[in-house]
Amino acid sequence: MSRFVRKFRKWTVDALDLPKDLVFDLPRLTLIGGKQLYIENHRGVVHFSPESLHLELNKGYLEVEGSGLVIKEIMPEEVVIEGRIDGIKYRGTEE
Amino acid sequence: MKLPSLSQMRGVVTIVVRGEGIKRLINELARQGVEIWDLKPLTDGKMEMNIRVTDFLQLRPLLKRTGCRVKVKKRYGMPFVMMRLWGRKWFVFGFTVFIVIIFCLSSLVWDVKVVGNEKIASEDVLSAARQEGIYPFQWIFRLPEQDKLSANLTRNLPGTSWVGVSRTGTQITIQVVEAAEPVKKLMNPRHLVSKSDGIVSYIYAERGQPEVKKNDRVRKGQILISGIQGNKIVVSKGEVRGNVWHEYNIEVPLVRKQKIYTGEKKQRGYLFFGNTAIQLTGYGKVTFEKSQTLTEIDPLTWRSMKLPIGWMSEKVLETTEIELKLSEDEAMKSGLERAKRDIIAKNGRTSVILEQKILHEKTDNGKVYMKVLFEVEQNIAEELPIVHNQGE
Repeated sequence: MSRFVRKFRKWTVDALDLPKDLVFDLPRLTLIGGKQLYIENHRGVVHFSPESLHLELNKGYLEVEGSGLVIKEIMPEEVVIEGRIDGIKYRGTEE
Repeated sequence: MKLPSLSQMRGVVTIVVRGEGIKRLINELARQGVEIWDLKPLTDGKMEMNIRVTDFLQLRPLLKRTGCRVKVKKRYGMPFVMMRLWGRKWFVFGFTVFIVIIFCLSSLVWDVKVVGNEKIASEDVLSAARQEGIYPFQWIFRLPEQDKLSANLTRNLPGTSWVGVSRTGTQITIQVVEAAEPVKKLMNPRHLVSKSDGIVSYIYAERGQPEVKKNDRVRKGQILISGIQGNKIVVSKGEVRGNVWHEYNIEVPLVRKQKIYTGEKKQRGYLFFGNTAIQLTGYGKVTFEKSQTLTEIDPLTWRSMKLPIGWMSEKVLETTEIELKLSEDEAMKSGLERAKRDIIAKNGRTSVILEQKILHEKTDNGKVYMKVLFEVEQNIAEELPIVHNQGE
C-alpha cells in the first residue's frame, strides 16, 4: 500500500466516519459476556489449548485466556470462540 | 450455534485429529473454506472437531501434508442412517409395503350407503351407482367428480328430484331425495253427465263411450260420455263443452260508499310481556268519530327466536266515508262486469262469454235494476259415479 493511498484512506475514514476495520483490514473483536468471542480478520490459529488460544492477526497477534475454550466455528476471516473467557491480550504491531 | 446448512442431511462426522501439524491443518482448512466447527482441544495435543462427510473424504491429501492422523469418533446424519437402514433392508422393505398397503386400502371404496329413499329400492340406486362407477372396492381416485356423479344419478334414477353423493373416508353416501309425485287417486267407474241445459259445442272422449254429438241439445243430468263401454265399466274421461244460457238479475246502487283515511292519526306504544301489554306512550282520548286501528308487534329476537317480550305500537287512523256518485252507464257497466266475473268464477276459467242480452232495465230508488241473459261456452261435463246393484 503506497503512502499516498494510505493517507487518502485515512482521510476518507476520518471524513466519512467509517469503521476502521473495514477499510484498514483491522481485527474486530466482539465479546459477549465472558462466554463468546467473535474475531474478524484473523490470520490463523497459532496455539490452541483449553486454557489459551493464540491467533495470528494482520499485524500482531491475539491471546485469549480462559478455560474450556472451544472453537465453535472457523472460517477464512472469522473465528467464533466459546467457553469461559478470562482475558484477552492484544499485541498489535501496527504504527 | 449456527451449523452449516443441511449438515444433518448431508452427514457429519466427529473426528479426533492427532499429530504435530494440527494448527496448520486448521488454518489450511479455514483458508480453503472447508467448514469445521466445535473444535475442542483434548489432552495430549489431540483435537476433536466436526466436519461434513464430503469434506472428510477429501481430507486425506491435507492430512498427509500436515502429518496428522485422524480417527472417526462419531457419525451422524442421513447418509449414516441410510447405511444403517440398508443393513436392515428387509425390515425397511416390509415397512414400506405396510405403508403402501395401508394407503391402497384407504383409497378404496369400502361401503356404499343409500339414504333417504322410501319408494325407490336401494338395489336400484346401487345398480345405477355401479354404472356410474360407484361400487365397493373401486379406487376413490377413479371416481368422477361428485357434482357430475350426482347429476348423472339424478338423470338415471327416475322418481328422484336430486341425488347427492358424498364421501367420508372410505364410505360413500348416496343421498336420495325422491320427487313428490302427485298422489294417484283411485277413481270409481263413472259417467260424465251434463251439469246444465245447453247445446254441445265440442266433445272429446278420452275414455268411455260418447253419447252425444256436436250441436246436440242436452238436458241437465243427461249422460254425455258413458262409463259403460261394451260390456266393460270404465272411468270415463274427456272434455265436453257446450253453450249455456245464464240469466242474471243485477242491482247496482248509483251511490257508492267508500272509506278513506283523513290523515289524522294517533299513536300508542306498549311494552308487552307474553299476553300482557303496558301502555307507555300515547295516552289521551281518541276524538275520532270513526277510526281504524293498525297494530304492529315487534318482539325482541335472539338469533331467530322470538322472545315473549317486546314493543307493540298501535296506530289509530281516523277514517271517513265519502259517497261516490255513479252515472247510470257506469253503474250498468260495473254490474255487467260483476256478473261476468261471477260466471267465470262459477264455471271455470275456460268459459267464454259469447253474447250478452239486456232483457230489461230500469232505474228506481237510486238503483239500476237489470235482467241480462249471457250465452256462455263452458265446460258442461260433471262426474257421476256408476253404482252397482243399486237397490233391487
